[in-house]
Amino acid sequence: MATAASAGPDHLFNLRNYFYLGAYQAAINCSDSLPSLSPEESVEKDCLVFRSYIALGSYALVINEIDDAAATPLQAVKMLALYLSSPGNKETVISSLKEWLADPAIGNNPILKLIAGTIFMHEKDYIEALKHTNAGGTMELHALNIQIFLQMNRSDYAEKQLRIMQQADEDHTLTQLANAWLDLAVGGSKIQEAYLIFQDFSEKYQTTGLILNGKAVCCMHMGNFDEAETLLLEALNKASCFSKLVIPSLVDLLP
Amino acid sequence: MLTTFETKSNRVKGLSFHSKRPWILASLHSGVIQLWDYRMGTLIDKFDEHEGPVRGVHFHNSQPLFVSGGDDYKIKIWNYKTCRCLFTLLGHLDYIRSVHFHHEHPWIVSASDDQTIRVWNWQSRTCISILTGHNHYVMCASFHLKEDLIVSASLDQTVRVWDISALKKKTASPGDDMLRLSQMNTDLFSGVDAVIKYVLEGHDRGVNWAAFHPNLSLIVSGADDWQVKLWRMNDTKAWEVDTLRGHMNNVSCVMFHANQDIIVSNSEDKSIRVWDATKRTGIQTFRREHDRFWILAAHPEMNLLAAGHDSGMIVFKLERERPAFAVSGDSLFYTKNRFLRFYEFSSQKDSQVIPIRRPGSTSLNQSPRTLSYSPSENAVLICSNTDGGSYELYVIPKDNISRGDSVPDAKRGNGGSAVFVARNRFAVLDRSSNQVLVKNLKNEVVKKGLLPIPTDAIFYAGTGNLLCRTDDRVYIFDLQQRLVLGDLETPFIKYTIWSNDMEYVALLGKHAIIIASKKLVHQCTLHETIRVKSGAWDENGVLIYTTLNHIKYCLPNGDSGIIRTHDVPIYITKVTGNSIFCLDRDGKNKIIIIDATEYMFKLSLLKKRYEHVMSMIRNSQLCGQSMIAYLQQKGFPEVALHFVRDEKIRFNLALESGNIQIAVASAKEIDEKDHWYRLGVEALRQGNTGIMEYAYQRTKNFERLSFLYLITGNMDKLTKMLKIAEVKNDIMGQFHNALYLGDVHERLKILENAGHLSLTYLTASVHGLEDVVERLAGDFEENAPSLPEGKHPSLLIPPSPVMCGGDWPLLRVMRGIFEGGLDAAGKGGEEEEDGADGNWGEEMDMADVNGLENGDVATILKDGEVGEEEDEEEVGWDLEDLELPPEIETPRASSNTCTSLFVTPSPGMPISQIWIQKSSLAGEHAAAGNFDTAMRLLNRQLGIHNFAPLKSLFIDLHTGSYSYLRAFSSMPVLSLAIERGWSESNNPNARGPPVLVCNFSELEERLKNGYRATTAGKLAEALRLFTGILHKIPLIVVESRREVDEVKELIIIVKEYVLGLRMELKRREMNNDSVRQQELAAYFTHLNLQLAHQRLALISAMNVCFKAKNLATAGNFARRLLESNPANENHAKIARQVLQASERNNTDASQLNYDYRNPFVVCGATYFPIYKGQKYTTCPYCSSRFVPAQEGKLCSVCDLAVVSADTSGLLSSPSQVRR
Repeated sequence: MATAASAGPDHLFNLRNYFYLGAYQAAINCSDSLPSLSPEESVEKDCLVFRSYIALGSYALVINEIDDAAATPLQAVKMLALYLSSPGNKETVISSLKEWLADPAIGNNPILKLIAGTIFMHEKDYIEALKHTNAGGTMELHALNIQIFLQMNRSDYAEKQLRIMQQADEDHTLTQLANAWLDLAVGGSKIQEAYLIFQDFSEKYQTTGLILNGKAVCCMHMGNFDEAETLLLEALNKASCFSKLVIPSLVDLLP
Repeated sequence: MLTTFETKSNRVKGLSFHSKRPWILASLHSGVIQLWDYRMGTLIDKFDEHEGPVRGVHFHNSQPLFVSGGDDYKIKIWNYKTCRCLFTLLGHLDYIRSVHFHHEHPWIVSASDDQTIRVWNWQSRTCISILTGHNHYVMCASFHLKEDLIVSASLDQTVRVWDISALKKKTASPGDDMLRLSQMNTDLFSGVDAVIKYVLEGHDRGVNWAAFHPNLSLIVSGADDWQVKLWRMNDTKAWEVDTLRGHMNNVSCVMFHANQDIIVSNSEDKSIRVWDATKRTGIQTFRREHDRFWILAAHPEMNLLAAGHDSGMIVFKLERERPAFAVSGDSLFYTKNRFLRFYEFSSQKDSQVIPIRRPGSTSLNQSPRTLSYSPSENAVLICSNTDGGSYELYVIPKDNISRGDSVPDAKRGNGGSAVFVARNRFAVLDRSSNQVLVKNLKNEVVKKGLLPIPTDAIFYAGTGNLLCRTDDRVYIFDLQQRLVLGDLETPFIKYTIWSNDMEYVALLGKHAIIIASKKLVHQCTLHETIRVKSGAWDENGVLIYTTLNHIKYCLPNGDSGIIRTHDVPIYITKVTGNSIFCLDRDGKNKIIIIDATEYMFKLSLLKKRYEHVMSMIRNSQLCGQSMIAYLQQKGFPEVALHFVRDEKIRFNLALESGNIQIAVASAKEIDEKDHWYRLGVEALRQGNTGIMEYAYQRTKNFERLSFLYLITGNMDKLTKMLKIAEVKNDIMGQFHNALYLGDVHERLKILENAGHLSLTYLTASVHGLEDVVERLAGDFEENAPSLPEGKHPSLLIPPSPVMCGGDWPLLRVMRGIFEGGLDAAGKGGEEEEDGADGNWGEEMDMADVNGLENGDVATILKDGEVGEEEDEEEVGWDLEDLELPPEIETPRASSNTCTSLFVTPSPGMPISQIWIQKSSLAGEHAAAGNFDTAMRLLNRQLGIHNFAPLKSLFIDLHTGSYSYLRAFSSMPVLSLAIERGWSESNNPNARGPPVLVCNFSELEERLKNGYRATTAGKLAEALRLFTGILHKIPLIVVESRREVDEVKELIIIVKEYVLGLRMELKRREMNNDSVRQQELAAYFTHLNLQLAHQRLALISAMNVCFKAKNLATAGNFARRLLESNPANENHAKIARQVLQASERNNTDASQLNYDYRNPFVVCGATYFPIYKGQKYTTCPYCSSRFVPAQEGKLCSVCDLAVVSADTSGLLSSPSQVRR
């Protein structure tokens, strides 16, 4: 895959990129104008769109839109929406999730595994999460693994995962992002590299709250709090509902 | 070879460049001499007076002259300004082969088939010397540029060098007679003043051309033996150096290149050859299919050559002169003389960076063509045409302190073009397979991609994108998506320039500029007759570009214009404000200051920034017809109005913009009927009846005026009009007015007076005016006209208008666009600002909310596990409890099987734990979130027992030492520890101590504020500040021992103030106890304060004591005050008075517990003095003293520590521990 000459155009590229970079509204908008897709692509598209809605907090919309006839990945996405929508759902969701994972027919679906990893991560049950995700298979699963390892303070394992991703596709948005996460976690001279990665993203794509936040975090780690403040304020302007989750009120803490 | 210009014509036998203008003369075999502008590509003039072929032609280097010589034996001198032949020099007896001007003397040298060379004086129009010696046709003769020499070539197989220094001496002698005499002598004894110096023999056939080297003592010759020979001469002899073989037919012309060490020759074998003059080897050959070459010419100053052949001529150069460059922010990288150089725009510093590889000099034009720079990696890609297209990748060492001459290691590769597409990725075009290879900085292929359209060059188009060029279109290709993002049909594009915001791209072709958006949506196209050379975007989105001789601008809407002209081509690198940075052909950086007013004005108009427009109109001299025409054409007549003084133009513009007031004013000035008429028309259009009336009055257009009065219902004036018509004897007008007025009697009167009796009769009968009918019936008798049957006549009275008087509702004319636009712009701006304010306010609020949430998140994270357990316990109470266990087990079993190889790693050590382990500083523990250990440390070190004041600081420290990163969508955020003292050389994974939100310098700042508040008398505020400092110090972390001492000092300073201020505040609260008040005031003066504050304390103590008649004590304070040399004269005066009073009556009215002679400290809790020798205890933290009774109680000064607790002392720096 690394040096293989490319195949045809990748229709979902933009959609995926928007999603990974936190431009959820853009992801939703761009999904309307896609050319005809194969059934698999179409399911993937729906997954990404619904996950974007989840990221925007529109859980109810996702829960209502996905009916019981939908494909497994979509059901998994619905489960995530249910899980996140209210703490009361957690138990039922986890139990049915485990049930599904045990089903050999659908248990290997990467999206299902991804959602499982996500939910268990919220539960802080990293071991259970890794059980389903460690085998990897998709870039997203690898990226998730990296995040789990980082959450567990095991940057050495995260680095191994990153290497796998780099071998698969070094320029993939997720590879780059995961690289930045790892760089930030290990610190030191790597911070600069992380900054450059976010910088690249902001030049290449529209700046999103996620990218700005990433840049700001790098700046903070480099001791450059003034720039971080500007970036965070910009991020606040940009995507208020998103940054609410992320940005600490550094402004009055700054020395 | 780079062809600049080409003509098709009859055979070209002679060529000459103009030294200043872009002109070239070509003399043809047909007898015509053509004057071409090779830049514009136009034929300027034709000179057709020779009969038969013209073989020699030459421009004078300063006068507007040229000389030609032809087969009609005539030498003609022409003035190209007047396009006339000035005169003809006769004398040669056969065809003339070549003519050349001398560069400073008024001489012409000519070579002829009559075997002679003649030198002519074109001022006296005589032949001043005949050089004989050749015994066959002389094919060419020319002067040496510096020495008094002539070189000639002849079919007698020799090249001869002639010494003409005698001729020079002779002409230098003054006196016309003498000159004439000598010229006679010359004619008689020819050859005396020009002697043969050398005869160069060596060619085996007739020699066609010989030429001097411009600087060295070298001659080059070409002959019918197909050879080019190189000769060297010194003062005494000349000899053959080498022979250059290669031409396959007669060599017709040969010359040295002026600037490079090369020889250029052409031949009847239809080729031009370039030779290396030192190695004497052929470098390059250019061939034509069918045309034999006859002549070469070199530009005297520029790197241009021209060659004449059977069917025309070409103007060309051998090498590109454009330096390869790349701009990145403030820096410019460019190549010059095999070096990569760096130029900083802001400082104008120019420096050499690294040497780059010299290509083997086997062929010309191998210099770098393009340069691509990656700022973050400091890497440069240099592309050249070497080996059919190749690139070199250099990583510039960070410390580029002239690393000498060794060429650094370059990574090389072949490819049509190479360009950086990301920070550490570059794309290389492989033309043969139409693939793009993406490589990393190690020159390894990372990715390959097939381009959908055959492409011959690639350019940068934003990160990850390529702008690909084909012959007739460009397209943008996304390397990751493998998608064409946009394409555009264009002429052949040479360069691309992206605007600063990467929104627009300017595509420069040879004669066209296309501006497109980043998706290649066409914006505008400009066509240039002269070649486009370079361009750059300024900050406002204006493209500044250069052609061969102009600097021009292009606005976003495609409007363009000339900014200024320049003589030599320049390559713009950057534009900032009025400064244009450019490189010239010698690779020198220049700054050209231009007047940007014109295009800025147009841009402001375009962007509707009317405020700016107005200020520009006011402040600059932007007048001129072209600007007015532009404004009119662009639909801004109202703006143009501001420029114009001429009333007629003003009137026209005012009408066009609907500005009726100005139009009226102008019309008054002009006062011509036509203008009034047009004003009236415009007023009618707008509905301005007042001006309409005025205009009609001025034009005396009574009919319109009457009608106007009718429809505005102005009956009085209508009556007046009737009178006027009567006076003017205008019957029709009278009748009209009467009709409008509905006045039947008047009508009858008019009709009767006009003799229309039957009409009068009818009118009268219709309207039932019987008396008139009867009167007239008599006249008519039988012939009275009969009324039509079946009609019911009624009096026609015009309906009264809805609006009477005043203007009609005025038409909303364009008057708004400018003034209104101005207002709107102003308002808009304000509104935006307001809006922004609103947003800010809101979002600031949200930031606070975020802070809280994050705080929560942090705490949840901290004791997450506890929470989990609790959750599970709750689950335990759930009803579904029974069903759950089997469900849990099944997936576990399955996952166990499939992940049998995978062992889940145990969680690593969180950074907070690392911090705690490494540190024994309370601040760092707090930052790590380990509040209990932090508290324990503080307790041990400083005896701190009351942590309530520290709580918020603890939380701040903890929050401030983490950042939160949203990594993957819908995942919990990653918390990342922020470390102190980051530098780019830090090793990854080496965990540093946490960053802390408070630092020492901040405390110093607070201290100053505290002083200020104290001086200003805001004691409560000051106390708050000082206490704040005291509360922060336990958690402060500093680096060095010296700073630790400073911290300790700070504690002492601050605690004195806290104690003092508390006492003072308490004193002010007390009203009744005068003795105690005096005591507290007195103690206050004994604290260790700043001098200014001490004075204040003394003054207040003095006042209090004086008022309480304790004159002796007051006197003591006054004395101390005076000793401190108070700056305030008033204070000193009072102090002196108090002192005098106390000296008069040195007694105290009441006894105070105050003995200033005995040193004491003040108890921090009871505020009683502890005199020297008395027992006391201290606060372990702030070191305040207390009476022994306070032992074990909370220190009332710092409010933190327990008095007299056993402690290890303040620990605020890692350096203390390392010791």
